[in-house]
Formats: sequence, structure tokens, C-alpha cells
Amino acid sequence: MSHSRNSRREFLRGLAALACCGGTAALMPQMRMIGTALASTRDLTGYRALVCVYLSGGNDSWNMLVPFDAARYSVYSTARGGVYNGSSNPGGLALPLPTGAQVAAQQIVDAAASGDASLYFMHPALSRLADIYRANRLAFAVNVGTLVKPITKPEYSTPANRPPQLYSHSSQENLWHQGNTLSGSTVGWGGRCGDIVRDSNPNQQLSACISVAGANRFETGLSTVPYRMSANGLTSLSGMCNPTPCSSVSATSVRDNALNTLLEASYENAFADEYRKVFKRGRDLYNVLDAGLDATNLATPFPTTNNSLGSQLQMVAKMIKLSREQNYAARQIYYVRFGGFDLHSGLMSGGANDHASLLGKLDAALGAFWDAMGPTDVDARSDVTLFTASEFARTLQSNGSGSDHAWGGVQFVMGGAVNGGRLYADGGGPIAGFPNQDLQAPNNFSRGQMIPGIGVDQYAATLARWIGVTSPTDLAAIFPNLANFATGNLGFV
Amino acid sequence: MSRTIRTLLAFIGAFGAAGAQASLHERIFRYGFDPAPDAPATQAEAARFLTQATFGPKQSDLRRLMALGYDAWLEEQLGMAPTLGQPAVEQVVNARTAAGQSISQMQRLQRWYWQAAYAPDQLRQRMAWALSQIFVISDQNSSIGGNIVPMAGYYDMLARDAFKPYRTLLGDVTLHPMMGRYLSTFRNQKPSATTSPDENYAREVMQLFSVGLVLREMDFSPVLSGGVEIPTYDQTTITHTAKVFTGFTWSDAPTAPPNFNGGGSTFAAQSAPMACWGTELFPASGSGSNNMRHDVTGDDGTTATPKTIIGGVPIPPNQTCAQDVGDALDIIAAHPNVAPFISRQLIQRFVTSNPSPAYIERVATVFDASNGDLGDVLKAILMDDEARHPPPLSAGDSYGKLREPILRLTALWRAFDAQPQPPDAYGEVKMTAGNSLTAQFGQGPLQAPTVFNFYDPDYQQPGPLADAGRYSPELQIVSEASTYTSGNYYYNFSARAYIGMTNPPTDRPLLDLSPLTADATHPAGMVATIDGRLLYGTMSPAMRATLTSMLANLNGASANDKAWSALYVTLLSPEFATQR
Repeated sequence: MSHSRNSRREFLRGLAALACCGGTAALMPQMRMIGTALASTRDLTGYRALVCVYLSGGNDSWNMLVPFDAARYSVYSTARGGVYNGSSNPGGLALPLPTGAQVAAQQIVDAAASGDASLYFMHPALSRLADIYRANRLAFAVNVGTLVKPITKPEYSTPANRPPQLYSHSSQENLWHQGNTLSGSTVGWGGRCGDIVRDSNPNQQLSACISVAGANRFETGLSTVPYRMSANGLTSLSGMCNPTPCSSVSATSVRDNALNTLLEASYENAFADEYRKVFKRGRDLYNVLDAGLDATNLATPFPTTNNSLGSQLQMVAKMIKLSREQNYAARQIYYVRFGGFDLHSGLMSGGANDHASLLGKLDAALGAFWDAMGPTDVDARSDVTLFTASEFARTLQSNGSGSDHAWGGVQFVMGGAVNGGRLYADGGGPIAGFPNQDLQAPNNFSRGQMIPGIGVDQYAATLARWIGVTSPTDLAAIFPNLANFATGNLGFV
Repeated sequence: MSRTIRTLLAFIGAFGAAGAQASLHERIFRYGFDPAPDAPATQAEAARFLTQATFGPKQSDLRRLMALGYDAWLEEQLGMAPTLGQPAVEQVVNARTAAGQSISQMQRLQRWYWQAAYAPDQLRQRMAWALSQIFVISDQNSSIGGNIVPMAGYYDMLARDAFKPYRTLLGDVTLHPMMGRYLSTFRNQKPSATTSPDENYAREVMQLFSVGLVLREMDFSPVLSGGVEIPTYDQTTITHTAKVFTGFTWSDAPTAPPNFNGGGSTFAAQSAPMACWGTELFPASGSGSNNMRHDVTGDDGTTATPKTIIGGVPIPPNQTCAQDVGDALDIIAAHPNVAPFISRQLIQRFVTSNPSPAYIERVATVFDASNGDLGDVLKAILMDDEARHPPPLSAGDSYGKLREPILRLTALWRAFDAQPQPPDAYGEVKMTAGNSLTAQFGQGPLQAPTVFNFYDPDYQQPGPLADAGRYSPELQIVSEASTYTSGNYYYNFSARAYIGMTNPPTDRPLLDLSPLTADATHPAGMVATIDGRLLYGTMSPAMRATLTSMLANLNGASANDKAWSALYVTLLSPEFATQR
């Protein structure tokens, strides 16, 4: 395993780098405060990374995975107003049942079921992902959503039984990032995992959590703040020394010294000081990462033109490669974000921003990432698990040109360690299995919003375990509602 | 009340109690040629006020404010006609199109940046900018990304309504076709056997444009029941409210013979308030009723029930679309949450991220007392003691806010009288160095990633701010990456953009560095000028020493190089990044 090569030498080099970059602030730049004695020092071996692909806007995920057998397909199609046709049925949202050659391309089998109940097809745009599913390395988590505890419809009317502000983008996104339904929380389960696993990372300057999509609650922990990178990598700062300081005196070095002096001071006003810390961290980490990142090349081409997810995942792949080669970390958590899913209108319209186009970009980006993690490139497939998240699914019922906000939906997990080729639809609660998509089904609401059968907590806790958070105390602290559910490990990874 | 009547009352009131002027926007100049009694005590105080109230203090504005005093300056600004963008953008777009040149939102952006830097109605332009971050539409959404001219028209609508009653603004926002397309009220249809109305606008008009998610007191603190927050509405309310916003289309969609999907092929039609095909145009039943696109039914889908919307207030069935929309917006605008919800966000855009509850309550009280008059509200925000008198700096200070990245740039332009480029062959004045700047700054006019703006009013930067329960919206877009990308553009607009440089660029304003180069051999003087013009005299001794010694160590450099170096480092500095 390449990551263990020269690990001790790298570790010492990392310590030396810390010492030269000045002050105590530089030593633990990602530390906010030592929270409660939650994080237990642990010696996690090897390398693992989680990659969160956040689909923002509420992915219409009941069109990603569709029942193939006639009986259930018919229910689906009816609920969605029939198969979309631009001229004869522009309000319909259903995908056509694949026929002929399309069957081989789109159909998948749920290895955990049998007969008709095991037959599904994937959206036609998801061809790479369908292949990875058939290679047993992609798994679907079905009817996942925010829950306080498992409920059925009669219990819904009591507010305390359900999460607050269902159907609100911002509120539900917060709960997905948190992995719980606490109100007033400002931390996420990824950051809290970072709090715990960071102790195993040789380079303490680089946060265990890395974002290529800006600030996010998911990667904010009690003592962890994500390192935010651009998909384009590190730019140099004009008129200044890159890295800092310069090796000789010049007008540039004089300016650079002045900037460094300003960034090394501390400020009484919290806004000034926070800005200073972020900027300083950027300069310090530029020093650490730039040369290496510049020299890091992938064999795999990524779709980056007009595909922001492709650009972001390319940077993630590079950082994983660099982190392993330089032994920066034993555990990392990445965050990328792909927007445009709030398709109240134009869901099926065939335009450049409709659902099919978005899923096509998702498929191309994830396909490239899968390839990059493969043995001829970064060679980290078993060490990297990618998972999707989205604030909610969308109404089965059309509004005439699109769908509105709903609740439980489909997510998927991809990676060499994933027990794929099957659906995970049973969280041990009263609602289980691929849901009945009839609008009048007992646990659906009138427009085809489904009460989830699996809670976000359960989905997230399964991933948290894999990244190295296994102590029941730690899990209970991060996922306080987990005890309400039958299991905290769905088993897909 | 018309402005004429108000002027009369102002005239009469001017000789009455001093408090009578509080809500009037025209006044006579009563103080003759003596300095106004409410003039800022110092130039620094004046510059600080203009930092809050404009896109950055300009020397000429400073003189005017010192002469007029706060009240008269505000009244003058409140009474100023709006500088509009759409006519100019339309002219450029047409000229470029006629010449076979490509067009894009860059045309709209160049005009926006020009207005920020040079329009005289600065207060109104700042208010439009603030309102555009609440009543968000964005060209990042493909439904309107190609509508360059009408989007400029939407922004003009915000500028025109900047000092009007909130209810007027809410109505104009709701009916603007760019909002209609952005939040899908446009061609939103009444229910059918297999569809229900789109709920997008119904939700966001409440969550983001009026009341927010939970009930609030006038000081914005949440109303609690048994220690738990109370939602302002639920999903059922949304579904009912969605029925109101049905039947909209382009204002010029033909009605005889009817074509609901027609019209909208001119800029004028794409900017005019949407038409609604309700019973005001077509019957609810019988011949022609297939053109009646508005949902006249109530909660249960029949005309036996009303539409019950927020607060449990019913709207009768069988009304025209105009009646339904009018009623719904009246009900929403009258909700007690509106005053604190809107006031707090406006305070965050102008003065401080964490107004005290008392400050919010004072402003919200003016909001309600003036029937939502946004001019009165803004004046109350800026003249409040908490805006005018910052607490002294001490450890753990969290007064003020991080400056928006765009406002750091405009402050630079205005402080150093940046000279605009002449209009090009198509009438366009280029401002942004060939880039939209949005990716680099993390913000851009009508370019938010979603309807939730660039940053969340409730964002808390992890660390001391979050620990203290403080909000810091603008820090949400500051990252290790953005300090570099925005920094590089501050460099492009300073080091690469001054009068007298070799091969000056033609795509951005050029700074007048002469107030600084005059002190090329006198570093302390140069730093003092920067302190006065960009930091309104608040530069710390440590920063002053750092800049002064930097200039001393640049003693081989040209005067211009010293000047832009000092500006550039200031632009990157934590002190300039902060507004206190």
C-alpha cells in the first residue's frame, strides 16, 4: 500500500513544517476548541475517505430507480401522470419502461429480493452507475429521509413525532448535514467524525474534512472546520510570494512581509479575526500543498466542461492521490455539491437543465471518479466510499411540468468496499421495502410524498462506522436519535 | 399620501414640533447657510456613515453630507429619482446584436457595476442591492439565464420600489415575469386530474420574502410554546397558497383568439407584469372555460370551501385571479412577522450582522407604524444609535460585519475617484476586467446560486462567533480559496488599473492615485490618506506601522508602485475586510 511508504519520514517532515510556519495558531489551525472529551485518540490504520456528493434542490430520485415488473411499474406510471411526452403528455413525469436493447442497459436486479420484486430499472442517463451496480459496487438506500424516529402515517399529525420544517430546502438540508433533527445545531456528522479521526492523521495542518464546494455544515465539527478548496486547485496570490516567504528580497517580498504581518496579528473584532484566520490558513496550506498538487496528475480524464461535479470530483481524486502519496492523512472526508435539482418545472422537458441532463452529468462525473480510483490510476477503490445526499425527494405527482417537495427518497453508495448489487430498503422499522407508489398508499401523502422507512441517522451512522467512528458512545453523541431506530448499521459498507 | 400633500405638511410641520418630520421625504432647507446641527462631528464619522449608506465614501459625498447633515442628506437621497439599468442594457444589447456580437449577462453586470460606482442615488442603489439579496432571482437558473434585459428590469423595479411600502414591493415582485419564471408561477396551472399547482412560489414568498419559518416577536426573538418554536405555516398552508399563484403568463399572450403559451417575444413583454388568466378574462365554466387557468376552488378542490392560507385566514372561492393574489399578498404582508423578519435582514445588509433585539424592535416598530414604508425603515436603521455609535473595541468584539467582497471593490473605486472607461462602440462602459467576478468574489448581482442568496442570514462561522451565538453571513463565502481569488481581482483593480500606468487596460475603471503619490516620499502621509478614505480613521497603530514600514522598504519603487502596493495590502487586510 503506497500510503505507508516513507510514512515515518513524512510524519517528521510534517512536524518540521509545522514548526517553521510560526506561532501556536499555525500548529492546530483547524482547532476551534477542544469540545467535550468525545474524541478518543485512536490509531486508525490504512487510509479511508468518504466523499459526500450533495445533490442540492431535492433530487427527484424516484426517477433514478424504478420498478420494472408490470404491476409496480403501472402504479408508478399512474402516480406520475403517465409517461412524459412533449406533445401528447407534457405534464407526465414517468419514465418509459425500457424495451429491446434498453433493457440490458437499464435493468438491474435487487440481489436481496426475488422474482418480480427484484426487478428495477435505472434512469437511462445513469449508464455508468448501472454498470457499477452490476459489478456489485453500488448499492441503493431506498426511502431514506429525515426522521426523529420511525413512524407511520397515524403518528405524523403529532409534531413531536416528525422532523421540523419538512419540505423546506434549508431546514431539511441542515438536518441531512447534521445526521440528526436537533434544532439550533451548527455542526454536522462529517465534521464530528473528523473530530474523532483526525488524531490518526500525520499532517495536523490539513483538516480531516476537505470541501471543494465551500462552507457546509456537514464538515463542521466541534473542533473541525473544513479546508475549502476550489475545483481549479490552488491559485497563486498576485503581487505576493507563492509560497511565502520569497527566497530573495524584492518589491514583492516587501509587500508579502507586510501581508504576513497583518495576517499573523490577532484582532479584537471577531469578524476581522475570523477573516484573518481563513486567509492565513490559505497561505499556510498553499505552502504545504501547492507543489505537490501541481505535480499530481491523474491518468483518468474527467468531464469538466460544463460539468461542475466533474471538476469537483477531479480535485477530490487529486487530493486523495496526493494525500496518500504524502501520507497527510489516514482518514479524510470530502464534500462536493451539485445543484439544479429543484425542478418544479422542466423536470422532463429535454432542456439542458432537465433531470436527464443533470443525471447524465452525475453519471459521467461519478464514472470518471470510479475510473480514477481504479488500479491503473489512484488505486484506492476499496479505500474510498462515495455517497449521495439530498434534502428530500420530490412528489410523485406532477404539477403540470415538474414536481414539488416531498420526503423519503433514494440515495446510493459507491465504492470498492460497498456491498452492492442490491437495495437496502429495510431499516428495521414499520415502513420497509421498496415503497408502494400509489398516491393513496397508507404511508404516502396525497401527492406521493413518502414517509421514510430509513432515517438519515441510520444511513449516516453506517458510513460513520466505516470511516472509523465505532464506539457506541461516540455514535450516540453524534446521532442522538439513533437509539430510536432498530439498527445503526444498514450494512451496505 | 401623495408627495405634494406631504410637502405641504412638511412645510407646516417644519414650524411645529421637531418630531413631525419623522416620516416625510421632502423638506424645505430650514437652516440657511449654517452647518446643519445634525452634521457628522468629524470627517471620519461622515465616512463611516457613507460606508453604511452608499457603495463607499466619495470625497464629494463627504462634503455634501457635512454640509447638509444626516437628516437632509437622507431626505435628499430618499427623494432622488432612481438610476435605471434596463434602458442602458437594452441599448447595448440591441447594438451588439445588430453588429453580430455575442450578448450575455456581462452586459447587465457592466451596467450594475457602473451604477454602483457612479449613480448619484447611492442610498437607493444600496437598498436595491440589499433587496436583491432577499427577493432573490438569479441568472444561474436556466429559466431566466438568457433574459439579460428583463433581469435588468427586475432590478430596476427593486430600485423604484426601494422606498415605497413593503406591500407595493411584494406585489411588484410577485407579478414580475422574471420572478414568475424563476420560482415557477409563470404558467402555473390550476389543478387537473393528475396534477396539482406548483408550490414553489407559495413556499418561498413566505419563507424568504415575508415571514420566515417560525413566529417572531418584534425584536426577532422566536415565540416559544412550551420552549419550542412555532412554525409560521405548514405544508397544508403551502398547498392552499399555491392555488392562488395560478394562471400567470406573459402580459401580451393573445386573448382573442386565446393562446396562453403565446407572447413574451419582446423585452417589453418580458418585463411587464404578468397577466393572469382568471375569471376576469374567461368564464369558469362553459364555452371558453378551458382558457380560464386560475384555480378558483378552495381547500377541498371545490368551490364549496375557501383557500385557507397563512394564519388560518380564508380567501373566498370563485374570485378573479387579481382578487386572489391581492388578498393573499395583503394577508401575508399584514402578518406580524414581516416587520422583524425584514427589518433584521436589512440591518444585516447595512450595519451589523448581530443587531441587538432592542435595535431590531425599534426598526420593526417604525416598519409597522409607517405601514411598511421602506424609506422610513432604512432611515431608522441608519440613524439608530446602534448604527451611529459603535461600542469601543475590546476583546471578543462582534459588533459590525464582514464587508461584502463587492463592496470592498466599489469602496476602492469611489475613494479614489476611479475614472470610467469611455463607452465602447456599442455604448457599453466596461467595468469588470472582462470577468463576471461572481466566482471569484462569491457573489454577483442577481447571480446567487439559489433563491437562498449568497449566504444565510443565520450563518454562524465555526469558532468564537458560533460559540457566542453570533451570526456572520458574509463569512459563509470567505474560504481559503476565495481569499486568493478575490485578492487577485483586488490586485487587477489596483496594481493593474490606475491613471498614468503604461498600457492601461480598457475594461475597468482607472484609479486616481494622485492623493497617494503626492506623499511618495512621506509614507506616513500616504497611510493616513488610506486610513481616512478606506478605513474612516479606524486603522490600528499596528497596521499603520506595518504599512508605513512597507512603504519605507519600497524606497526604490516608483510613486505609483508604492501607492498601489499600499492600496492592495489594505484591500487584503483584515481591518478593511471588516465594517464596524
